[in-house]
Amino acid sequence: MTVLAAGGLGKRYGARWALQDCTLELEAGTVTALVGPNGAGKTTLLQLAAGLRRPTTGTVRVLGHDPLREAGAVLPNVGFVAQDHPLYRGFTVEETLRLGRKLNPHWDDGLAHDRVARLGLSPRQKVGRLSGGQQAQVALTLALAKRPQLLLLDEPVASLDPLARREFLQSVMEAVADTGMTVVLSSHIVADLERVCDHLVILSQARVQLAGPIDALVGAHRLLTGPRSDPAAVARVHDVVSESHTPRQTTLLVRANGHVYDALWELHEVHLEEIVLAYLGRTEVPA
Amino acid sequence: MIWLSLRTQRTETLIAAALVALVAAALTPSGLHMLSVYHHDGLAGCAGSASAGGCDDLVHSFTNQFESLRNALGWLTLAPGLIGVLLAAPTILELEHETHRLAWTQSITRRRWVTSKLATAAATAAVAAVALIVFLTWWHGPLDRLQGRLDAGSFDSEGTVAVGYTLFALGLGLAIGAVWRRVTPALVVAFAAYVALRVFVDTWLRQRFAAPLAATWSMRQSGPDLHRARVLTEYPSNRFGQHILLKHAGDACLRKLGGVVAAPADGHCKLARLAQYTHAVYQPASRFWLFQGIETAMFGGAALVLIAFAAWWIHERTS
Repeated sequence: MTVLAAGGLGKRYGARWALQDCTLELEAGTVTALVGPNGAGKTTLLQLAAGLRRPTTGTVRVLGHDPLREAGAVLPNVGFVAQDHPLYRGFTVEETLRLGRKLNPHWDDGLAHDRVARLGLSPRQKVGRLSGGQQAQVALTLALAKRPQLLLLDEPVASLDPLARREFLQSVMEAVADTGMTVVLSSHIVADLERVCDHLVILSQARVQLAGPIDALVGAHRLLTGPRSDPAAVARVHDVVSESHTPRQTTLLVRANGHVYDALWELHEVHLEEIVLAYLGRTEVPA
Repeated sequence: MIWLSLRTQRTETLIAAALVALVAAALTPSGLHMLSVYHHDGLAGCAGSASAGGCDDLVHSFTNQFESLRNALGWLTLAPGLIGVLLAAPTILELEHETHRLAWTQSITRRRWVTSKLATAAATAAVAAVALIVFLTWWHGPLDRLQGRLDAGSFDSEGTVAVGYTLFALGLGLAIGAVWRRVTPALVVAFAAYVALRVFVDTWLRQRFAAPLAATWSMRQSGPDLHRARVLTEYPSNRFGQHILLKHAGDACLRKLGGVVAAPADGHCKLARLAQYTHAVYQPASRFWLFQGIETAMFGGAALVLIAFAAWWIHERTS
């Protein structure tokens, strides 16, 4: 089942396109990393999916519905943690959970209170006094206790220290294991995502540069090294993502169409991070 | 959702309540004192009809005693504006701190959130305004019965206009804040604009809601009852209502007699007779509710437009 589908989705702010021609389908149960530099359109895509913004072009459907026009059908099934996890700072933890209970029909109060207890938070603590990591966890609790089918997390760990970051992602993974929910998680830190995610979407310059299962993407890319040469011959068969040259050597990162048989080149496996960096480094838009 | 609206404006509600309570606590002693003097001196008998014997002196001394106090309370006319912009703050704070995104991604629709927030703020502001009106109407009571309610000090804080002022300040704060999304500058600008408009209406516009009445009457007659009217001008005049400046009248008289001051017995320069009339332009006390209605409709209507604009802007133009 497709949980999130975008077709030709675009969003323009004034003269600048924040997202352009985005076509994606995310299946139920997948955990997708949305990767790209700041300003690449990650937040815009997530906000469009959560019904916070109206598309300029194209459509986005969540669980088969328009998240803005059919908010009543979409919102109860979507958990959203916005960038910097905004919370009412004057509320206590208990009041924050009360907010969730009052505003959500499928609210799981037991789950919410269990999570808060396991985090070692007192219900009477003011949210504004909690550490950044604890606030992020409270925001995640609010999203998880909705029992959503789709969880959208916008840069959830960007502002956290490494320990809090690991704990947060651990919480997400546990929740996924428990419920099988679909997750989309944006970040510009690739290392964090590799452990958590099984799918990858690379956004750069407002466009989707690459999308697919991480295993397949890693399997399809090869690093080629050989004596300095023009990569034109390789480019006729495979997609050359990036090339770099020293006076004696040429290195290519390619997305291989079938096997690469060429005695000229030495083949290497590539890591996810290298693939991401190669795509983010590209300035031209893929055909 | 109403719980959330009330909870997010809890601090502002408490401040507004404290403001009203403070005014009441500070003025109750003087109000009681004024009331006791009013009854003790038998001023009630002077209130309704035109001056009975001895009333003029009594009224004069009473108003002398208490009018300065009322005038010192002129700043109270700022209270509705303060309450209004104060209750605009919670909604703008949400936009500034981006907590609206938290609320909008729970299961309620954005429309419900906006409606609930703005309706709660408006209801709270109106209740605070009514509380102020009720208290100040009681406090002004004795003075009003002698002097009428058309002067700014009473008019602004009685009847219904203060509800209009409060909602107008709220709407102005919400509209500017919805667009600007910064609570402090938005509310400072809204409050300044509110004060400017109020000054304009108080000092210039209100007296033009209806053409004032004019009357000229002889010194020997009793003119219209002006005790409780709002008198715009009043001066000695000839019988056509033309202003007689006594000094000029004297000059004219001197010229007429060729520079020689005539003895009264000469009898031709009837200086005294020139100014035997009084001319007054005034708004009668009976127009209190007409003016209240006009001004309440004006501010209330503007408040509705501003609040509707803020709701539209937040609903359609905010993400």
